[in-house]
Amino acid sequence: MTSTEITYAWAINHAMDEEMARDPRVVLFGQDVGRMGGVFGVTRNLFEKHGPERVRDVSIVEHFVVGGAVGAALGGLRPIAEVQFADFLLVAGDESFHKLPKWRYMHGGAFTIPVVIRAPSGIQGGVGAEHSQSPEGHYWHTPGLKIAVPSTPADAKGLLKSAIRDDDPVIFFETRRLYRVKGLVSDDPELLVPFGQASVRREGSDLTVVAWAGMVPEVLAAAEMLAAEGLSIEVIDPRTLVPFDWETVAASVRKTSRLLIVHEAPLTMGPGAEIASRAADELFAELDAPVRRLAGPDVPIPQNMALEQFCFPQVPEIVAAARELIRW
Amino acid sequence: MSDQDRADLLALYRQMARGRALEDRVNALTNSREFRGFFHPGRGQEGIQAGVCSVLRKDDYLLYAHRGLTYLTAKGMDPVRILGDFLGRVGGSTGGLGAGTVHCVDVENGIMGQGGTLGSSFTLSAGLGLASQVLKQDRIATAFFGDGASARGTFLEAGVTIAAWKLPVLWICENNGWAVSARLTDVQGTDDIAPRAAALGFYTEVVDGQDVRAVQAAARRASEKARAGQPAFIEAKTSRVEGHYTGDVQPYRDKDDVAQAKERDPLLLAQTQLIELGASDADVSSIWDEAVAEMAAAEDRARLSPEPTGDRIFEGLWA
Ligand SMILES: Cc1ncc(C[n+]2csc(CCOP(=O)(O)OP(=O)(O)O)c2C)c(N)n1
Ligand SMILES: [Mg+2]
Repeated sequence: MTSTEITYAWAINHAMDEEMARDPRVVLFGQDVGRMGGVFGVTRNLFEKHGPERVRDVSIVEHFVVGGAVGAALGGLRPIAEVQFADFLLVAGDESFHKLPKWRYMHGGAFTIPVVIRAPSGIQGGVGAEHSQSPEGHYWHTPGLKIAVPSTPADAKGLLKSAIRDDDPVIFFETRRLYRVKGLVSDDPELLVPFGQASVRREGSDLTVVAWAGMVPEVLAAAEMLAAEGLSIEVIDPRTLVPFDWETVAASVRKTSRLLIVHEAPLTMGPGAEIASRAADELFAELDAPVRRLAGPDVPIPQNMALEQFCFPQVPEIVAAARELIRW
Repeated sequence: MSDQDRADLLALYRQMARGRALEDRVNALTNSREFRGFFHPGRGQEGIQAGVCSVLRKDDYLLYAHRGLTYLTAKGMDPVRILGDFLGRVGGSTGGLGAGTVHCVDVENGIMGQGGTLGSSFTLSAGLGLASQVLKQDRIATAFFGDGASARGTFLEAGVTIAAWKLPVLWICENNGWAVSARLTDVQGTDDIAPRAAALGFYTEVVDGQDVRAVQAAARRASEKARAGQPAFIEAKTSRVEGHYTGDVQPYRDKDDVAQAKERDPLLLAQTQLIELGASDADVSSIWDEAVAEMAAAEDRARLSPEPTGDRIFEGLWA
């Protein structure tokens, strides 16, 4: 099967297009996903190809977007629901923290909830405190949800296809900074990326860095710079937070004896705390240095584009933190 | 006045009696502390639930509310499963997760559950209606709720979407004038809920919820509209006879108000109508006796099922 170089946004589009062609129960709704093709162009052509019955625009109704997706799944559809920004998922708090993860369990497992919520996240373009967040930690703290955080076009496609075929609810975080990034993506409509399998983005022996979504390119750039100094960094991208491939992380830490976690969400109670805590608990004897986290600062994200750059870890900080840990 | 009218009303009366007899058992379990959760009695509101469910098909969807149990049994659910949930038994519909009415489920009879947060059923019913429309199933999605829950923002968000997409959805507001201790007119600006639904584009009916035949007639018209793609809404004016939950002595409420509510009991009204239609006292009382016996036997059977062990909590989170 051939591969084509396409953007992360287009890879997501292809995943939806292929799955809608494969399964008539897959429907898509959200703001501007129809004729416009999405405010970021991610759903282009789907309305024309799959028709107004299955691709629907909605008004400003986030409670409906998430709650309606749960109801549609109860009724036998496999909805993909888009919120324009991941931040807006918090508008639908009851639906995303309660209905989506709990309806099946509360009712004794009587239902499956095959819903995918697509949520564009992260800092880009001066859109401010309520359009820039990375809220995956909130959802990781909520039992009953699977969470995908792809960092490459190939993973975006393969993970979204898996998400659509999954009988459990998935929150699919798309990094807006990556939408225009290109990469080779298989044209094989049956090539899925399984959940719960981390990808070792770069092999190394001195330090393990765990990063996902928009932080993966930054960490890889840092690793390249450190390589010039003779420092060898292993970069692990978990690709999904639920399920989380702890085995791959643990095996890497056993090899490097050092662990750094890098994420965009704020530091305090962020997802890195969970990984660090687990490492301290299970890998204490393996570690030659403290487990460290680099994360967004504990402030709302300002709209000023110069200032928002201070709200997620930058390459020089990653380089400095890595050096310090290796020389510990 | 025909034999058919009498038979129809007897059937409605039977469903109201079953709901009330089941509720009596749950109240007894609550008072004896064998059931230690909250139960919200539906005494006085059985006519709405029995009347609406009488026009639904087995495969029509039901999202019920917290008030009473009549919708569950009238829609076809086995009371053994319901009591199993109250008693926290593995044989309950939630497989031992119980305890209480909140999450009873019966997919075969279209009973799709209930959320613990009021107003959830607006968006969920919209989604169920969407599924029926896309899959060309001709099923309608119904959701029951109170006057209090009608104030939730989800009412508007789901309502506008249901109207825009012409989804086969029927909403039933049981307007009893109270939300716990809050009188409707103290916390909302109007007595009437239906005009809001009309403003969104719903077909609306306002009906005396104590008159089960009037409810049935309104529900017949409304469900036909919904099935044809005209979203519909019934506001049933009713009274809450008991407290918000079993054990609530209602210090916030006038004694007269409760006394009036008791006089307008839908079962008593139906009894009078039945006698007018030529039914005998014996016909009427035998229906009640049968309902009581059915629910006593259901409780005995529910008790035969074991309680779950602690590892039950880890079952069923994932598909
Ligand atoms: C979102 C939410 N807020 C509050 C509650 C607590 N609560 C449960 S029932 C109830 C009153 C509801 O009144 P109404 O909708 O009129 O129904 P009724 O009890 O009168 O049948 C309240 C406040 C809840 N379960 N969910
Ligand atoms: Mg009320």
